[in-house]
Amino acid sequence: MTEVHDQLQDVFRDVFSDPSIVLNEKMTAEDVDGWDSLTHINLIIAIEKRFRVKFATAEISRLKEDSANVGSLLQALTGKLQPSK
Amino acid sequence: MTDIVVEHRPEAAMDLVEKATLQEAKGASNLNAAVERCKAANPGERGAAFRALVEAFKGAAEAERFEELAAALRSALTPVLDYTSVQTLQRFYRLLPAEVKGPAKLKLAILGGFTTHQLKDFIELYLFAAGIPAELYEADYGVFRQEILDPSSELYRFAPNRIFLATHWRNLGHLPALSDDPQRVSDLLEREFADWSQLWQTAHDRLGCQIVQNNFDTPAWKSLGNHEARHPAALLRYIADMNRLLADRAPSYVTIHDVAGLAADIGRRAWGDERFFLHAKMPCAPEHLVNYAHNVSSVIAAELGLSRKCLVLDLDNTLWGGVIGDDGIGGIRVSQGDAEGEGFLSFQRYAKALKMRGVILAVCSKNNEQTAREVFEKHPDMVLRLEDISCFVANWTDKAANLRSIAKQLNIGLDSLVFVDDNPAERSIIRQLVPEVAVPEVSTDPIDYIDALERHQYFQVASLGAEDFKRTDYYRANAMRGEIATSAGGMEDFLRSLEMTATIGPVVPATLERTTQLINKSNQFNLTTRRRSAAEVMALMEDPGWVTVTASLSDRFGDNGLVSVVLGHIEAESLEIDTWLMSCRVLKRGLEQFVLNYLCDLAQARGLKYVRGGYIPTPKNDLVRNHYADLGFDATRSDDGGRTSWELPLANRTPLNTFIKMGSSR
Repeated sequence: MTEVHDQLQDVFRDVFSDPSIVLNEKMTAEDVDGWDSLTHINLIIAIEKRFRVKFATAEISRLKEDSANVGSLLQALTGKLQPSK
Repeated sequence: MTDIVVEHRPEAAMDLVEKATLQEAKGASNLNAAVERCKAANPGERGAAFRALVEAFKGAAEAERFEELAAALRSALTPVLDYTSVQTLQRFYRLLPAEVKGPAKLKLAILGGFTTHQLKDFIELYLFAAGIPAELYEADYGVFRQEILDPSSELYRFAPNRIFLATHWRNLGHLPALSDDPQRVSDLLEREFADWSQLWQTAHDRLGCQIVQNNFDTPAWKSLGNHEARHPAALLRYIADMNRLLADRAPSYVTIHDVAGLAADIGRRAWGDERFFLHAKMPCAPEHLVNYAHNVSSVIAAELGLSRKCLVLDLDNTLWGGVIGDDGIGGIRVSQGDAEGEGFLSFQRYAKALKMRGVILAVCSKNNEQTAREVFEKHPDMVLRLEDISCFVANWTDKAANLRSIAKQLNIGLDSLVFVDDNPAERSIIRQLVPEVAVPEVSTDPIDYIDALERHQYFQVASLGAEDFKRTDYYRANAMRGEIATSAGGMEDFLRSLEMTATIGPVVPATLERTTQLINKSNQFNLTTRRRSAAEVMALMEDPGWVTVTASLSDRFGDNGLVSVVLGHIEAESLEIDTWLMSCRVLKRGLEQFVLNYLCDLAQARGLKYVRGGYIPTPKNDLVRNHYADLGFDATRSDDGGRTSWELPLANRTPLNTFIKMGSSR
């Protein structure tokens, strides 16, 4: 597992107060207890703070869609963490 | 050399009794220890400390140790937490059974012009931390006008005793166009104000409740650049003018909550986060909701009389740099021209500014008293002087005992004290041994002390009157009166020597604010501890079935101001006293006898036969348990909870003797 994955897992555990959460890319809001549209905002805020990144308004929308999962979150995140070319 | 250091730094050494008690306190609760580790953690350790706290809370919740969990939650809920942590604590709060939260002391309706969901949760949480269990009602987003105007709305069904109108700049209804001339802009401002004032009045007429109204924050852009503040139709200028109108004209039943001030604390660009407004209609960047909610609850707590009253200061490395016992008066750093010294002077100036508006200052330091006092007397650059300090305690006794003694000497509760000390060990001990005292975490830089106090809003202001500016004079004058009392022959001679004059009469608009302040603040000399908002007192002033009385007392040392309030209603044959309270600074002066004489005269003039009153015990009003017995009332009833009822027949009554002259009426 990558460092980003582990750190993201920590964020999930903090936001949902559940140290037993183990992230995998296929996980969606349905798989995490308490992950609703409100806590989604909480999650975004916590991720932005932890990784010092900023999601665009449209990205926040995309990550809210039903098709979005932990994989899309990881992808969006790693995209922001890579040094710009 | 080492010997000398040890001898002169007893502050670093903890005595054995203190250590033992601390161990005991720790053994009693792992929760408190976890909270304490969180508070004392440096930024690097904070995450781990908070995770450990969450685990400890979980354990307590699973074991159903809810009382303990509630106490630890209250203590953990400081305004310096981040958004995610407060969300986490909120989840534990929800687990508490209703009986542990306590019966609601407040019914608060939140009417939002933005999404108030998170704000509402946080306000509830910080009210709980402030000792105000509340029942909340939250209207849907953006329907605050309909909720107030429609008499059949949920708002009126809920019947709150406080409304929070959570609005922001987007809710302004009469924004000017840039081309509008000054007269047109001024008309728009008047219409804007009239609209809001119509809402307040409607809600107030129907509910008689206090309304907390946000003033308006501003967006982060300035389309007119440097001219934004000057052009009358510019958005920022318009909002600033509107806020000025709110400040100047809001009636006493409306409390203006200074959101513009909160936004300015953060900085305009960092305050708003448009993304979260677009996604969730949040009024500001979510991170700032913590401070926002804490501030709202601090304003409500202040109105309910729960602000703290006294700032207790350590000396060495808190009020000056260095250790007076080691460095001497010439060696401590508290001088102009030295950066660190000027930092300590800034903090002193801040403490002095608090004192000027009525916060009591006290000193609690491990030092030789004479050495410590000398700095205040002789150091040419000190801002704080001995006359600024109402209670000066410098000795080698442990600080927990000294804080208890300070509270006792000032005749205030331990929960009225805030203690600032640069020494982390002392802070930690006090937080664990005297948890009622607020002890903010501070860095070792005096510049941060101000910020730490500002963030907590311990001394939040509900209203300000001439009384507040004179309060610390009363405490000094009281010390002088005390000296006479010991020198004068007997109590009667003492009372006579005070040359007291009282002014007594109904509550009038000029005394409404002070009356409300006393009703919500007095704890000790308060027979029934019934709190009322300015709006509720106003209603009683106009009600012919009610009698409102206030008394002011002056003597040859000065004017004590308005110090006693009685509210009563007239029933068939009697005057039923609903509220009787008095400021403790005029205890044992005969004012209660003087007030009773007035009440009896008033009742007899109305042809009544009895004056009746009751006592409702609280943890703080044991002082007046025998109030009615001492005044010659007959006991008529008592219950298991300690409530008692009393009656005084007016036939053949002789007025009680006092040494107070009736002054000219207001």
